[in-house]
Amino acid sequence: MRVLKLTPDKCTGCLRCELACAYMQTGEFQPAKSVIRVSPFEGHTSYAPYTCTQCAEGWCMTACPVGAITITAAGAKDVLDDKCVGCKLCTIACPYGTMFYDPDTRKAFKCNLCGGAPACADACPTAAITYEEVATADWIGDFAHERAARVLAAR
Amino acid sequence: MTRHLVIGGGTAGMNALRTIREEEGERSEITLVSAERPYSRMVLPYYLDRSIAESHVFTATAAVLAEWNVKTQLGRRAAALDTRAGVCTLDDGTKLAYDDCLVATGSSAVRAPVPGADGRGVHSFWTLDEARGVLAHIAPGSHVVLIGAGFIAFTILNSILALGARLTIVEIAPRILPRMIDPTGAELVEGWLRRHGVAVRTGAAVTRIEDRGGRRRLRFKGGRDILCDVVIMATGIKTNLEWLAGSGLRVNRGIVVDERLRSSVANVYAAGDVAEGRDLVTGEPAIHAIEPTAQEHGRVAGANMAGRDATYRGSLSMNIVEVCHLDVASFGAWDDPGAEAFTAVRRERPAYRKLLWRGDRLTGALILGRSSDVWTTNDIGMLKGLVQSGNSLAAWKEHLRGNPFDVKPAFIASRTTATLLPLTLLGRASKAPGTTPVAV
Ligand SMILES: Cc1cc2nc3c(=O)[nH]c(=O)nc-3n(C[C@H](O)[C@H](O)[C@H](O)COP(=O)(O)OP(=O)(O)OC[C@H]3O[C@@H](n4cnc5c(N)ncnc54)[C@H](O)[C@@H]3O)c2cc1C
Ligand code: SF4
Ligand code: SF4
Repeated sequence: MRVLKLTPDKCTGCLRCELACAYMQTGEFQPAKSVIRVSPFEGHTSYAPYTCTQCAEGWCMTACPVGAITITAAGAKDVLDDKCVGCKLCTIACPYGTMFYDPDTRKAFKCNLCGGAPACADACPTAAITYEEVATADWIGDFAHERAARVLAAR
Repeated sequence: MTRHLVIGGGTAGMNALRTIREEEGERSEITLVSAERPYSRMVLPYYLDRSIAESHVFTATAAVLAEWNVKTQLGRRAAALDTRAGVCTLDDGTKLAYDDCLVATGSSAVRAPVPGADGRGVHSFWTLDEARGVLAHIAPGSHVVLIGAGFIAFTILNSILALGARLTIVEIAPRILPRMIDPTGAELVEGWLRRHGVAVRTGAAVTRIEDRGGRRRLRFKGGRDILCDVVIMATGIKTNLEWLAGSGLRVNRGIVVDERLRSSVANVYAAGDVAEGRDLVTGEPAIHAIEPTAQEHGRVAGANMAGRDATYRGSLSMNIVEVCHLDVASFGAWDDPGAEAFTAVRRERPAYRKLLWRGDRLTGALILGRSSDVWTTNDIGMLKGLVQSGNSLAAWKEHLRGNPFDVKPAFIASRTTATLLPLTLLGRASKAPGTTPVAV
């Protein structure tokens, strides 16, 4: 399966992925609705994107009481809008914090790999996000650990 | 051919049934006995507010059960279990012999023992039938009184308001949500409810419910009466175990089970609200009475019934409820008096965090914040991950003491994702719902 590989050292914090994601998912440039999120590290000296790993368990999917989360042809876990009742169980079940909830539509939403052509990877000018045939991984843990260690040590 | 008997077609039973079909090496016979058609109780609030049709609550239709090759006895109750003979007797006298069986009969609502509690216009909200009853009686402008301010009451609160009813919540304890949130959190939620036009009366003991010209009059030990149209009693639940008298199963508060969800009788499993499974954080037996625990129990029991040796680390107690666009969530041992607690409150937003520690590990968390706040939703998941993974946060503890809101960098930099990724409940990737293979 192809997954979103994140290479945080290449991220410049330009937020193009968030814009592209929101546009692809909602038809509007509203990063508030993006399911890939860029966070600053070590003050604002570096940045890294973060999104659903499409984990093997799929805690969101197995928790859903109405079977509204399924696996798409691209291998992504995705929410079926007409089935989702908005109960939020998936938001507490996903241990990565990568389930989202739209109070306007009262539906949960998440990264669905854009049907196999992820807009974020396309939009990233530095290849910090690439769509590759690799095993999913903790892409930004080491990067964040190193930067955080410096900040925490300086206190 | 192995004969599996699943008793109870709720969350635990249906997850077990599906997992048996997913895991089994050779075709088995499955019989489902259930007093009600399979549906998910926790979806009932969305039926109540009419955002979904009644058909949406069902977890398997007759056609799906046929496709899964399940023999059904729906509308029938199991009345006795003879574990020596391996026979279950139903309420109509039918006897079903099994090679192994799963007890997943869930719980029922209990009403406070006050005169008038079973009178006209007084409802419980636990089953589909009860939901139908409530729905038929609430009209725009109705005055609804919820007796009991626990988690279940809160799951239907938004729905009642969405129907245009006026709502009063009455609770005998000095505060609301006594088993889901601490006093600080309860105070914030109570204030929020009042701002949204919901009347809250705590420390109020109902002594009698009277019929008064077609309306209900609630009398209290001290305090003025309340006149209303509909009373919903959300005063607790009890596990459905009476029918197991004489079965010989070891029962504590629930059926005692091991890490395979096996009871004291080797070929009898128990799952869901009736089972005292392992709590992930404390390692102790516990009844969570929540959907995710019933799902996990059902899947682990089902895998073992299908011949797999699936052991289980335990389930995490967790809850989320939305109260007029305010999310309230709790994880793990959030009320552990022996834990070290870091808290932060922002009354004006409102927002609240409580992180509970045993040493360098997060063992529980409370979180309260607006539903529209993306960061709250993200943090809710990350707090779950931190409690679930049991990752050491030694490097972050001091930072979090001063900044309990700053969960994200701690989660990411402590490489929690790396700890979590290999975890699966059944030692394999989960299958999508609806792709369950029909009997092999
Ligand atoms: C309104 C409401 C909202 C809820 N919201 C949430 C929520 O947001 N989050 C959460 O985690 N949990 C929630 N819950 C709790 C959750 O629904 C239960 O924990 C879950 O359903 C337990 O699953 P179970 O399979 O153990 O039992 P159940 O789902 O109760 O299923 C038991 C089944 O056994 C059948 N049965 C009973 N006795 C017999 C018998 N003698 N013979 C044959 N069949 C029998 C019943 O008819 C039923 O089909 C909610 C519950 C309600 C009522
Ligand atoms: S949203 Fe969370 S639980 Fe669901 S697949 Fe992605 S990482 Fe896994
Ligand atoms: S919010 Fe929707 S997708 Fe998530 S668990 Fe509830 S019904 Fe399923």
